[in-house]
Amino acid sequence: MISIYKKELRSYFTTFTGYAFLGFFVLITGYFFAAQNLAAYSANYNDVLVSTMIMFLILVPVLTMRSFAEESRQKTDQLLLTSPISINAVVIGKFLAAVTLYLMGIIITAVFPFILSKYGNVDVGATVCCFIGYFLMGSCLISVGIFISVLTDNQIVAAAGTFCVLFLLLMMDNIAANAPISRAASLVFAAVIVIAVAAAVWTGTKSLAAAGCFAVIGVAIVGLCYIIRPTVFDGLIITSLGWLSVLSRFENFYLGVFGISDVVYYITFAGVFLFLTVNSIEKRRWS
Amino acid sequence: MIEVKGLTKVYGAHTAVDHIDFTVNDGEIVGFLGPNGAGKTTTMNMMTGFISSTEGSVKINGFDILDEPEQAKKQLGYLPDVPPLYGDMRVTEYLDFVCDIKKVPKDRRPEMLKYIMETVKITDHSHRIVKNLSKGYRQRVGLAQAMVGFPKVLILDEPTVGLDPKQVIEMRDVIRMLGKRHTVILSSHILGEVSAVCDRIIIINKGKIVADAPAEELTAGSGNSAQLVRVGCSKEKAEQIIKTISSVNDFKVSTDNDETEIYVSGEGDIRADISNAFVKAGVPLLMLKGAALTLEEIFLKIISGEDSAVKKPQIKTENEVEEAEQ
Repeated sequence: MISIYKKELRSYFTTFTGYAFLGFFVLITGYFFAAQNLAAYSANYNDVLVSTMIMFLILVPVLTMRSFAEESRQKTDQLLLTSPISINAVVIGKFLAAVTLYLMGIIITAVFPFILSKYGNVDVGATVCCFIGYFLMGSCLISVGIFISVLTDNQIVAAAGTFCVLFLLLMMDNIAANAPISRAASLVFAAVIVIAVAAAVWTGTKSLAAAGCFAVIGVAIVGLCYIIRPTVFDGLIITSLGWLSVLSRFENFYLGVFGISDVVYYITFAGVFLFLTVNSIEKRRWS
Repeated sequence: MIEVKGLTKVYGAHTAVDHIDFTVNDGEIVGFLGPNGAGKTTTMNMMTGFISSTEGSVKINGFDILDEPEQAKKQLGYLPDVPPLYGDMRVTEYLDFVCDIKKVPKDRRPEMLKYIMETVKITDHSHRIVKNLSKGYRQRVGLAQAMVGFPKVLILDEPTVGLDPKQVIEMRDVIRMLGKRHTVILSSHILGEVSAVCDRIIIINKGKIVADAPAEELTAGSGNSAQLVRVGCSKEKAEQIIKTISSVNDFKVSTDNDETEIYVSGEGDIRADISNAFVKAGVPLLMLKGAALTLEEIFLKIISGEDSAVKKPQIKTENEVEEAEQ
């Protein structure tokens, strides 16, 4: 894992990527710092952090598009997969390298609130808390980018795909707010989920029996829920989409409230995507 | 020691590799020969654990590649058909990284890398960036990568493809040398390639093993030794003389100015009989050499029964043979 980590980190700085990432990161953060703190005579750095989140749409794809897409294009995945290291180690090493670069950006820009604190009243606790949330959220988005990079051997496709998915994730609150809340709509939504799961099982195993089993079990669970506790279906879409909303979790950190549940949410979120990444590599070997 | 049992790979409706079995003992150099698309690369990818098998098992020194991958992969060095190089690294950085992932102890590295780079002759280029290297040097760096950690087994997928003739000869020498320390399996679709370096040849076609024999046996044409003879007389006279030799089964004559070329095949070693017959008739014997079979001829022979390839001989000069093989 450490060997992969070192190699990835080094490759960020032997290519253009690392410098472009850090440069853009500092530039955008600096702009918002100037506009929202200096020009506006405000000492609230958390506002700057929230404003800069828009740059994740560009920066995360830049950071992650190469990670696996380039390995499969150069066929170096053959080297990694035939070496005595586990796939987990490869994935985690790559993830940590990307996160480290992101952390470097955060550390460089941490000088801004430090400057602020010299001239104004910065709430140190709230700012540190917000930084933690900022770091965790960014790491989650990086895990998504790495997962998308493993699905293709074309960097551009990986970057575009990551952009789209991150856009949806960051828009999730908006989408959820406009989602229908009636029970009928929720039932349709549940049915779509069941069909999607069954389809995923079918593509994974090519076994109609297994897919059928999942479909029947899914329908049974939905049906039972509807009979026993129909209230579950009130606003089910909003609740479900809310689980995917990485931004809404950030609100607590923004307000300076450090919640363990939010930390666990972010770690789980990243963990799930890294797990999916490992599984995609495994699946490619077995197909 | 490599044991492959019932190895199979099925892609949808297409069976790329179909229940192949073979064992490679320590210190052997085995050539894996077959036309394009025969399943060579798929088999090698399964043997190295890059892809999984649909059925069957691969054991490297007793470790199953799927059950104990880390142990098995420690015994392996693999040069895939495209050398797995990171373009933006320097050669030394790259080999250092390979040492890292192959878990070579730090104190053994300098000496090992020095030896490897000298063996594949890249010492002078060790500080160059990989993407600026020529194809031949990339191939060598790929081979160096496979040698890192001095694994017991080396698997090389078409190691000489894309190299110029001089590099091909150098690569063969390197492989021959590696055979002294490692068990080597190399694949190729060129017969001359494998027969030049391998002790044993496994021929694979459409995912199945069609032959597995020592190199000389296959190229000599098992039992039938074919010879290419050039004599200084007319076609008719040459035919006359050849017909008197009892050990000759079959022959084909062609003329080239005042010299006649004859492709002769017969039982056992027929060289002495041929030279005696021509000398007795007072005809100068200008050339007598073993006529190597081409891969196509061996295929024909194996696939369509015992010795049909010898019955339908084709006279080929050495250049033509090499062209056909390429």
